[in-house]
Amino acid sequence: MSIFKKIVTYRPSFTVRILTGLISMLIMLSVCTFIGLADRTRLNVRAAEFDARAVEAGAKVYFDQCARCHGVKGEGIEGQGPALASEQFVGRIELVRDDMQLQSIKVVVPSERLNQIGWTGSLRDYIIAVTESGIPIKTSNAWDVNHPTFGERFGGPLRGDQIRDVASFIVNYGLDPLPNDQAILPPAPGEGQAARPTPVPLTPAQEAGKALYEAKGCTACHAIRGVGAQGALGPNLTRIGAVAEERIASDHYKANLQGQPPATTAAEYIRQSIIHPNAYIVPECPQGACLANLMPQNYEQQMTPEELNNLVDYLSSLK
Amino acid sequence: MAFVGQKLVKQIQTTGLKATVAQRLDDAFTRFTAGLSWNDVRGVLRGDPPAKPNPRVKPHTEGFWFHIRPTFYHEAVTTLYPTFRLGLLSAVFFTFEIITGIFLMIFYTPSPTYAYGNMLDILTNVPFGKFMRDLHRLGAEGMVIIVTLHMARTFITGSYKKPRQFTWFTGVVLLVVTLFLSFSGYLLPWDQLAFWAVTIGTSMADAVPLVGPEINLLLRGAPDIGAGGLLRFYLFHVVLFPLIGVIFVAVHYYKVVRFGISLPPEMEAIGEDTARKVPPEKRVNFMPDIITNELMYAGVAFAILAISCATWYSAPLEHHADPLVTPNHTVAPWYFYWLQGLLKIPHMIPLLPGGIAGEVDRFFANVFGLTPKVFWGVIVGPLLFLLLFVVPYIDPNPSRRYGDRKVMLSFGAIFAAAIIYLSLAGIPTGVPITGFGYVGGDPASEVGQAFIPDEGVGPVRRLPYSQYVVGNFPINAQPNTGSAGLDRLIREIHDDMEARKARPDPLGKTLSADATGSLEVKQIQSNLRQVIITVNYTDVDGKASQFKKYTFLHADSGYVAE
Ligand code: HEC
Ligand code: HEC
Ligand code: HEM
Repeated sequence: MSIFKKIVTYRPSFTVRILTGLISMLIMLSVCTFIGLADRTRLNVRAAEFDARAVEAGAKVYFDQCARCHGVKGEGIEGQGPALASEQFVGRIELVRDDMQLQSIKVVVPSERLNQIGWTGSLRDYIIAVTESGIPIKTSNAWDVNHPTFGERFGGPLRGDQIRDVASFIVNYGLDPLPNDQAILPPAPGEGQAARPTPVPLTPAQEAGKALYEAKGCTACHAIRGVGAQGALGPNLTRIGAVAEERIASDHYKANLQGQPPATTAAEYIRQSIIHPNAYIVPECPQGACLANLMPQNYEQQMTPEELNNLVDYLSSLK
Repeated sequence: MAFVGQKLVKQIQTTGLKATVAQRLDDAFTRFTAGLSWNDVRGVLRGDPPAKPNPRVKPHTEGFWFHIRPTFYHEAVTTLYPTFRLGLLSAVFFTFEIITGIFLMIFYTPSPTYAYGNMLDILTNVPFGKFMRDLHRLGAEGMVIIVTLHMARTFITGSYKKPRQFTWFTGVVLLVVTLFLSFSGYLLPWDQLAFWAVTIGTSMADAVPLVGPEINLLLRGAPDIGAGGLLRFYLFHVVLFPLIGVIFVAVHYYKVVRFGISLPPEMEAIGEDTARKVPPEKRVNFMPDIITNELMYAGVAFAILAISCATWYSAPLEHHADPLVTPNHTVAPWYFYWLQGLLKIPHMIPLLPGGIAGEVDRFFANVFGLTPKVFWGVIVGPLLFLLLFVVPYIDPNPSRRYGDRKVMLSFGAIFAAAIIYLSLAGIPTGVPITGFGYVGGDPASEVGQAFIPDEGVGPVRRLPYSQYVVGNFPINAQPNTGSAGLDRLIREIHDDMEARKARPDPLGKTLSADATGSLEVKQIQSNLRQVIITVNYTDVDGKASQFKKYTFLHADSGYVAE
């Protein structure tokens, strides 16, 4: 009790007041001096941290929005979009820091692509420009569509900061670009008028399957080149006939199949994927790892056996 | 020349140059201090007793700044008790916020396009920028605490009683201003934390009967918070609330000077107020004693703030605001947890047996159109403040003695306990103690949220990039990834999952016993990895389900330090 009373009735003497005040001032001054002296370096370190976080945020935008056309590794997809991770596009860069920790990007090999199309600004600005406003005119028939306009100003879904982030992400590929021969490169300006593959004619059953593919809403999640809407939640099915063969041969399939006998033919695999989507979860989807429970699990009830056969027949023909 | 300089020339001729300059300088100094010469000020700072007649009274009649301060205090209020200097410190913090705020204002544009980028600039490109922001943020939170404590002490010492009722009233206005200042400032960084806290906050206004939607529109400037809302909150934060604050501090302080600081209750006869009747031998002069005392407290407060911001404190900045993505577990700032707790009260009249409580709810919903949320959050919440306003006018007891005020002091204690209890209910982690208000999702998704929170850092981001090994690892008690840090993380996830299997969450849900997990690390770019947590479990309907959550991690993103 008496200690309590002592604290509560404490009245610092004059000397204590002046001394404490002076010491506090000194502390404050030294903290400020310390921060002032070290601040340049600390600012630079922090700037590099936020640059790194911009790359992280950009990766998310990339997998959400861009990977469906430009590939999960930035390798490009035939007919959908050119490689963005190729050395031809990003060139080669290094990150360098000076002795004050100021980080900058050093271009070791400049982008060949920018040279080819005659863009005079930086790679980053080119990416921002294309992403924001699209490419206003069709430059080549190598691609099925013109570039979407992603910028909010152009009615797209991305804010300015997201576009800058995704540009940081793509530029960052330059640290370790994909060799050009592993990427789908865009045709040079004026050279893109390649003959387009003539579609293999479909049988009436397959035609019926194709109509069903569009009617049953598969297009909301899947994409087949040239057919209906181009969904991006599930795997691209443009080559599913061939992909199915690869899948059933893969170890991943054998190890992760659950509750169903392994499929032995492409058609069986496709049938299984439609009626038991959760039996095997495909590892890669356009937006990153595939999610279970996303694809509806009641297609068997929604279709007659004949309809199902047509659908499987159609999808198996896509190679 | 001859005209202006004549006197000066004469003085130099008679007393010499040095003495003249000294005399003239001292003259200017005296004019500046409104009456104290250089020697007088030194005397104050040395603690000398005043000369007679006391020259130190002069500034109190001549100068503006000193005339608003009293010339002396009663000896009994200059000890730590009864004021604990909390009123002074409130004023100090308020001033401090204005100064640091003006610094930040220079680098800030109230527009969704620029605001977040400006924050990044302040943190990465403005010398002292991060320091100032941390100071401003910590100071704001400190001010809420100090002002609340100041209120508590004036309540406990009964200082709100006659004649100080109106002092208390203006004080409550200042508390509201303090809270609104903090809340309006919260939105300005335009990050996810800010955006969603304020969206939730203003949507409460929406529920006010009759005028709710109009108020909401007025606050936000549009149906949703956007450019208009940001600009309005900015103007509230830098113009409206500071202005109200300054005006009410002036009135508040005028009343304090007018009535004197109340003496400790036991020193006065019941019902009497003797604060202004100070016998000469009990007077403690403003100069030198009170002023050095106040400067000391202000100095210590600043030093503590400065050290804190240079060492442990770092104001958070989450991802850019995104109206399309609601992060899990959005919370209001902590000083509004109690309001969040109120909003979560499940029934009109809690503690009734289940069936009856439901009936009562239905009755109110049908007859008055009132839901528990609206009732507790939008009606009872503000009513609590109304209660604070009228405290001095409804307390009939003239005595300030603690022994005579058992009823009121118990009320105060219950009030404080209720606020703390509700605050606990307002946060997910406090819910196990309070037993209501849990808002968590499915246990499997909570695993993801615990390790990769939507906003904030969390264990996965905190583990340095270099500690990750590329591969796909099952979650178990004996991980063997080759990296000690990653092993530890996996063990932590394992323990967390086991805990969720064993212990039901407040909604009674557990993670299914067969649940397994994996942690996958993929190399995306040479300095960028993706970390994916997968939980395979059986959901409530007995179906095999999967939950996945991922984040990207860059080698230099520096979360470790946060
Ligand atoms: C609908 C498919 C599609 C999507 C989605 C898409 N792109 Fe493209 N992208 C293309 C096509 C097609 C081209 C080539 C257009 C041309 O050259 O006319 C292209 C070209 C580009 C180029 C120029 C490449 C070069 O070599 O000149 C950039 C940069 C680019 N896209 C960035 C992005 C970013 C960033 C995103 C995600 C926000 C994205 N794209 C999303 C289809 C797409
Ligand atoms: C709501 C989104 C959604 C809809 C609608 C949907 N799918 Fe899927 N689909 C997915 C996802 C996600 C996957 C990958 C995960 C998995 O394997 O279950 C997938 C996988 C597949 C696969 C396996 C692909 C591969 O690469 O192995 C096939 C085949 C398939 N779906 C066909 C269909 C068909 C046909 C329809 C329409 C009748 C359809 N899907 C409708 C989301 C969907
Ligand atoms: C920005 C906020 C505030 C400031 C700057 C402030 C400032 C002050 C100051 C300097 C005093 C002199 C006594 C002391 O230091 O304790 C005081 C007294 C007082 N304050 Fe405040 N105050 C604030 C908020 C409040 C609040 C929220 C309340 C209560 C609801 C309140 C109620 C009172 C009362 C009743 C007194 C008289 C105390 C007495 O005479 O003993 N004030 N205030």
